[in-house]
Amino acid sequence: MKLNVNGVERQVATEWRDENLLTVLREQLGLTGSRFSCGIGECGACLVHVDGVPTNSCLMPVAAVADKAVLTIEGLVARDGTLHPLQQVWIDESVPQCGYCQSGQIMRALALLKENKEPTDDDINRAMSGVLCRCGTYDRIRKSIKRVALLMSREI
Amino acid sequence: MVQLTRRKFLVASGCVAGGLTVLYTLGIRAAASAPTIIFPDERSGAAWIQIRPSGACHMYFPRQDMGQNANTGLAQIVAEELNILVADIHGEHPTTSDVPPLAVTAASMSLTAFSRPVALAAATLRESLRARAAAMLGEPLANILDDLGGFRTANGRKVGYCELVSGTGVVIEFDDNKSPLPLYTFDPNRQKKQIGHSVRPLDIQALVTGAPVYAADVQVEGVLYGRVVQPPVRNAHIRSLDTQGVMQTPGLVKLVHEGDFVGVVCKTPSAVDAAMAQINVTWNLEQPISQLAIDSLIDVDAEMMDGDLEHVLQDEAHRDTVDWDIDLRFEVQVQTHAQQEARAAIARFNGSTAAHELEIWTGTQDPWAIKRAAAVDAGLSQDDVVVYPQRLGGGFGGREYYEVERDAVRLARAVKRPVKVQWTRQDEFTASRCRPASTHRLRIAVDDEGNLSDWWYGYVSGHVALARERMAGWLLPIMRLGTDMGVVKGAIAPYAAPHQRVECTDVDLPIDLGVWRSLNGAPAVFAIESAMDELAIQRGEDSLQYRLAQMKGAHPRLQACFERVSKMSTKSPLPEGHNYGRGFAGGIFDGRCHVAISADVHIDVETQTIRVLHMCCAQDVGLAVNPGQLRAQIESNLVWSIGMALLERFEVADNAIQSSNFNDYEIPRMKDMPSLDIEIIDQPAIPPAGAGEVALIAGPPAIANAIRNACDFRAVKLPIAFDDITANLRA
Repeated sequence: MKLNVNGVERQVATEWRDENLLTVLREQLGLTGSRFSCGIGECGACLVHVDGVPTNSCLMPVAAVADKAVLTIEGLVARDGTLHPLQQVWIDESVPQCGYCQSGQIMRALALLKENKEPTDDDINRAMSGVLCRCGTYDRIRKSIKRVALLMSREI
Repeated sequence: MVQLTRRKFLVASGCVAGGLTVLYTLGIRAAASAPTIIFPDERSGAAWIQIRPSGACHMYFPRQDMGQNANTGLAQIVAEELNILVADIHGEHPTTSDVPPLAVTAASMSLTAFSRPVALAAATLRESLRARAAAMLGEPLANILDDLGGFRTANGRKVGYCELVSGTGVVIEFDDNKSPLPLYTFDPNRQKKQIGHSVRPLDIQALVTGAPVYAADVQVEGVLYGRVVQPPVRNAHIRSLDTQGVMQTPGLVKLVHEGDFVGVVCKTPSAVDAAMAQINVTWNLEQPISQLAIDSLIDVDAEMMDGDLEHVLQDEAHRDTVDWDIDLRFEVQVQTHAQQEARAAIARFNGSTAAHELEIWTGTQDPWAIKRAAAVDAGLSQDDVVVYPQRLGGGFGGREYYEVERDAVRLARAVKRPVKVQWTRQDEFTASRCRPASTHRLRIAVDDEGNLSDWWYGYVSGHVALARERMAGWLLPIMRLGTDMGVVKGAIAPYAAPHQRVECTDVDLPIDLGVWRSLNGAPAVFAIESAMDELAIQRGEDSLQYRLAQMKGAHPRLQACFERVSKMSTKSPLPEGHNYGRGFAGGIFDGRCHVAISADVHIDVETQTIRVLHMCCAQDVGLAVNPGQLRAQIESNLVWSIGMALLERFEVADNAIQSSNFNDYEIPRMKDMPSLDIEIIDQPAIPPAGAGEVALIAGPPAIANAIRNACDFRAVKLPIAFDDITANLRA
């Protein structure tokens, strides 16, 4: 079985085909930026995009995404090493504390900004309330999303 | 066992190949299983700061990274003392074989306890370099002036650090009793260049790009996956065990059963899930686990009826037959850490000829305690065990013990292969060492002028620092003759009354307990600040002004916080309309941290929610080394305040912990987030006070007082639910 992850075809060993996507990404493909936290799709630490749709990879059987495009946090950095604007602003605003949830936060924010170029506070609440941060970095996440939205609007 | 000297440690870890290195002391050896608790003035540990022949500065980071970012603050101190840029410091995280034990990362002590030895070490290095520069330039010492990355003379000659060290390693050790060096860090008149500026975590890029930094991210060749059945409490014994279906599980490598330890090792994580689902265990418990049992054990009124409580913390001319103006009973329930990382460890046994017979990768607040305990558990000498500390995805006091590491070590030993264990979220809830439940009786009487005359505060709490299973069984009864430093935290109010008594009793609860952010600080200050708010309201006084007046001139730093937060809150007026309210609260944590908070709430009848709209916080932090990260810690504490006041409800019933995941234990989400206004009061002449758990003492009572202001409902129990207050609401 093959997976398309971050634009690259990857082979999944036979004995790993009954695993969920998160497990395969982390343990088979060495892409450990998506993280296990709740295992029931409540916290978003494992969030990746499947064909552009934000998806909790801990609940997704790997067999179900065999012919789909998977995007993980590792896929956001450009080939020349340039960070995605979300990652750069996350640094500029010094968002992470423990950092464990931040891959999921960034991937969820990316999905939000793809569908909504000017998210309001309510839009951000709706989109981001499924990604938990125990350290409580929400205020900086909110500021960062707005800042990236502004950056992107200027670029167009 | 061979005791390595400090110098040998450095040679062993290859750190004195070249350059000039200064050693400083940071910890001590301690018994297996006990936390590593001795702080820097003990002289048996060593860490180092080094200038290499290239001129680069390297240092060991002495703290475990779990989001508090203390190492960056310590790097700023080194940069300040050495006149270099913080970005030019190369931090390295030592393994347990690189240096003697470093103290446990806990109690918000990282900057408070480490800033001085780190500053002294760096200053020692600087002055040693200055002496070399004087010799090289043939100038008297006094003519060698500081310059960026080196020195200069009055007539413009410059020399960089790289010119002053050679490829031959030289190690210096300082004695902080004998060397009264000028410390730039603590000079209030110095225009600081590195300290006092916001510096981002030095490894922040790894955190936003998903780089491997946590224990479960570590890839070990040939690793297998394991999990162990977590008992509902640590002293439980197996009554019945059914493992019938386990052996048929595809992918099973081994079922491991040793006494009360039952676990599996499998080829893949999903096989672990399947195998564990086939294990059915029932447990013998010493005490039934129920909310009723907890409530009856912590009943302060029942305890006070029996006479004095166990520990009298303050007693000044106490009178117990007074006409009390305030007589309130408060209750705070159990809470858990719920850090985002499901903890993980990897253990690998190597042959006895290997450098280390047992290697452990884990994120822990106390790597040296893990090493000691693992050595005892595996029957190895301590030199045979190495712990590679990884970043923690949140700690909050809950990750100090040999637990997930134990699971990995025992399973790896059983299968003679490396094993990775990551707890499930349910394991996290089940095996958590919770913040205990407590009840508090607070009685206040005032004289004819309205000043406090009598203060009588009694409370009963589950144990914290002296909780069962936190230390050896023989030691526990001896230690419990003294006070539990966690239980007494926050109990002494900042208000002056001529007649005062503060007393408490600490008890065992039927669930495992331990250290949780702020310890008893948040529960105690909730009681104190709610009672004072109620007294002021009943007397028709301004709540904030009344509290300031009742400090009777004491605690100027706390007063300044209250005054500052009062001013800050006026910048954003409370919305007009029913069911909006504003509350204040403040307090002192550990005698050194001062904070005051205002909270604005709205009780929304339509959506049946209590929402915190805005919070202001003024915190006196002592010397503000890294304002941006201090602010981050305050933000975190404000979010936790919302969780504690309104959301987090830990369920126990039917002899088990019922809360099992984030769907039945609500923690704050983005939608719960208020706007924040935070101001830091910097005190350049006072050592850093620590900020990791301070604001959490004042946030919950500020929210409770805001609800009182909104709808006349006095919350006496946390968390507060919308249903509690419906009778008080106006449509």
